[in-house]
Amino acid sequence: MRLSFPYMGPTIVYAKLLELLGHDVVMPPRPNKEIIDLGVKYSPEFACFPFKVITGTYLKLMEQGVDTLVTSGGHGPCRAGYYGEVHKKILHELGYDVEIIVIDSVRDDYKYFYQIAKRLKGNNSWLKVVQVLKIVYELTKALDEVEKKVEILRAYYDNTVINKIWLQAQEDFYTVKDNSDIKKYKQRYLKKLAAYSDQIPAAEDRLKIGIIGEIFVVLEQSINNQIEEKVNRFGFEVERSQYLSDWIRENILPFTANDLKEIEHKGEEFIEINIGGHAKENIGHAIDFKERGFDGIIHLKPFACLPELISQSVMDDLSNKYDIPVLTISIDEQTADANVLTRVEAFLDMIKEKNYREVM
Amino acid sequence: MVKKKIGIPRALLYYYYFPFWLKLFAELGVEVIISDNTARDLLDKGVKKSLSEICVPMKILVAHVLNLDEKNCDYIFLPRFKSIRKGVVLCPKFLGLPDMISHSLPDLKAELIADQIESKNDDISAYVNHKKLAKKLKIKKSEMKAALRKAAKFWWRYRQLLFAGYSIDDFLGVEKIEVLEKLITKFENSKQLPQSKRSELKTAGNEEVVDIALIGYVYNVYDKYINMDIINKLKEMGVRVHTFEMVAQEIIEQELARLRKPMFWEFTNKLYGAARHYFASKNIDGVIHLTAFGCGPDSILGQILEIESKDYEKAFMTLRIDEQTGESHIITRIEAFIDLLRLKKERN
Repeated sequence: MRLSFPYMGPTIVYAKLLELLGHDVVMPPRPNKEIIDLGVKYSPEFACFPFKVITGTYLKLMEQGVDTLVTSGGHGPCRAGYYGEVHKKILHELGYDVEIIVIDSVRDDYKYFYQIAKRLKGNNSWLKVVQVLKIVYELTKALDEVEKKVEILRAYYDNTVINKIWLQAQEDFYTVKDNSDIKKYKQRYLKKLAAYSDQIPAAEDRLKIGIIGEIFVVLEQSINNQIEEKVNRFGFEVERSQYLSDWIRENILPFTANDLKEIEHKGEEFIEINIGGHAKENIGHAIDFKERGFDGIIHLKPFACLPELISQSVMDDLSNKYDIPVLTISIDEQTADANVLTRVEAFLDMIKEKNYREVM
Repeated sequence: MVKKKIGIPRALLYYYYFPFWLKLFAELGVEVIISDNTARDLLDKGVKKSLSEICVPMKILVAHVLNLDEKNCDYIFLPRFKSIRKGVVLCPKFLGLPDMISHSLPDLKAELIADQIESKNDDISAYVNHKKLAKKLKIKKSEMKAALRKAAKFWWRYRQLLFAGYSIDDFLGVEKIEVLEKLITKFENSKQLPQSKRSELKTAGNEEVVDIALIGYVYNVYDKYINMDIINKLKEMGVRVHTFEMVAQEIIEQELARLRKPMFWEFTNKLYGAARHYFASKNIDGVIHLTAFGCGPDSILGQILEIESKDYEKAFMTLRIDEQTGESHIITRIEAFIDLLRLKKERN
């Protein structure tokens, strides 16, 4: 079994998980123009952008002899939960003999879940599996902690300096074997970054942007036109609504995500019931960012994303009511870097201007 | 009870449930206003007020809500369809529909009545699905329940006729409940078969009759404006038109049971089950998937149907409609498709 998986966010986490379980893992390629073009060519025209990117990634992986793909499932109503089934059909239609293992929630199909869990577990004992899961969760948390610092510091320092440390950190984290390694690297890099924190101004002078939206485009830098770095470049700190460790907390570990539930609850003011994806949570995060003193929200979504279109529809009202500027950006294969940059720049200028007037 | 006017937008699931709602409000003695037929200027207003990238059916709905507001309704009836089958929901846009309307059209004069509908099957007549309505209109629980029972019975008669091969198109345009009742009784007692079942069909050039399954949501298939009256165009060209609502529920269930994982959206599942049934059916010459611009569930369904049609060796075409579709475009495409089917038939 030669395994791989879609590329999203801190990919090393998934690779680590499968590797520690003793599988032959192929690291998926980072999405680029070639992969996106490939994906667009073989995906339905109106499929959402993440679907197309994943199609491209899978096709590229086929060149490397991968025979099994592992991906997450879901029970809707967002389309993402059905990606696996459609990818199966597309890849078979193109003549690839590949298996796609879809990890659905235990509640949806207990038998199927047990089967795939057993297969992925391999010859390891269940105890080992629990240990591996724990290491991976710690790794995700450590990565997210370091990244949050990076997202702040990049606003005040030349981003090449900070990015260099961040890339180095990711490389080192990839080599971890156990929890003590993770601790070691986490402390090392937090210390390295702390050396730069003298540039952070007084609390009232810090400008902050919250990024909310669909999980794939929020997490994956290579397809959201490095929006965080763009915002940082104009001297704004960034925080996202989604970090992988939050996702794990919310979906896999029970009883640990009460704070996230509270945020979701805040979203009920605008979207009463869960409509799939993270639409309701995103509204909650937008309100939460405002309450925590953020200066603006950037709302990212793939073109024609079903749940996020509803959240975009209510966003104007939210922006008025809570007095917080919101910029919505749709992302797909046609999104141009200069377009995103111009819009972000104009948006951030407007926020600076607004604050300036208030001082006068 | 207060005498109030309640508006129903002629969009989305109106086409599936309108006899139910008409009967319900008639029983309750409430005055109903239905928005006008979709037309250019009506649609333009809706397009202006909606997000540019949202799907056409939603733009049409916004247009109809605005139209109702111009007609001075006191209330607009806009239920939140969450589920009409256990464990399966509708498209996210249906789930968030009242939120979207109330926050993107804050200037509406009429008040929304947005009951959440959660039902085990297509029968949505449970009292819990109409609690807000009863409260707003100050109707007693017992009275409401009685009206709902009658409406459900009436709707079921209509649904049976659809199973028997009648098209929703045969009932549209009738908005007076007495006339609709007469029509349904007439069809029930009629000796003549519905169009989709008739063996003798006359075409202008005495060409061979073909059978086409038109797979699409009710709001795409029966909105004559947005699809350029495709049903009548097909009929004129000598086509027996088959749609998903003619397929018995059991057949759809059987088809879906063969999948490891059915889809999450109830109407998409219905279309999928029906399409598989038509793919396997010898009487059907070709399948047309009628889909609207920007439809998310259809982007998934369309791809699956396209691949499966090859397995069944059935002619298949996707017809995408949007607010700018030209009439000649639709005619050219269906003509070419029908010609192809006729050629194939002659050769065999």
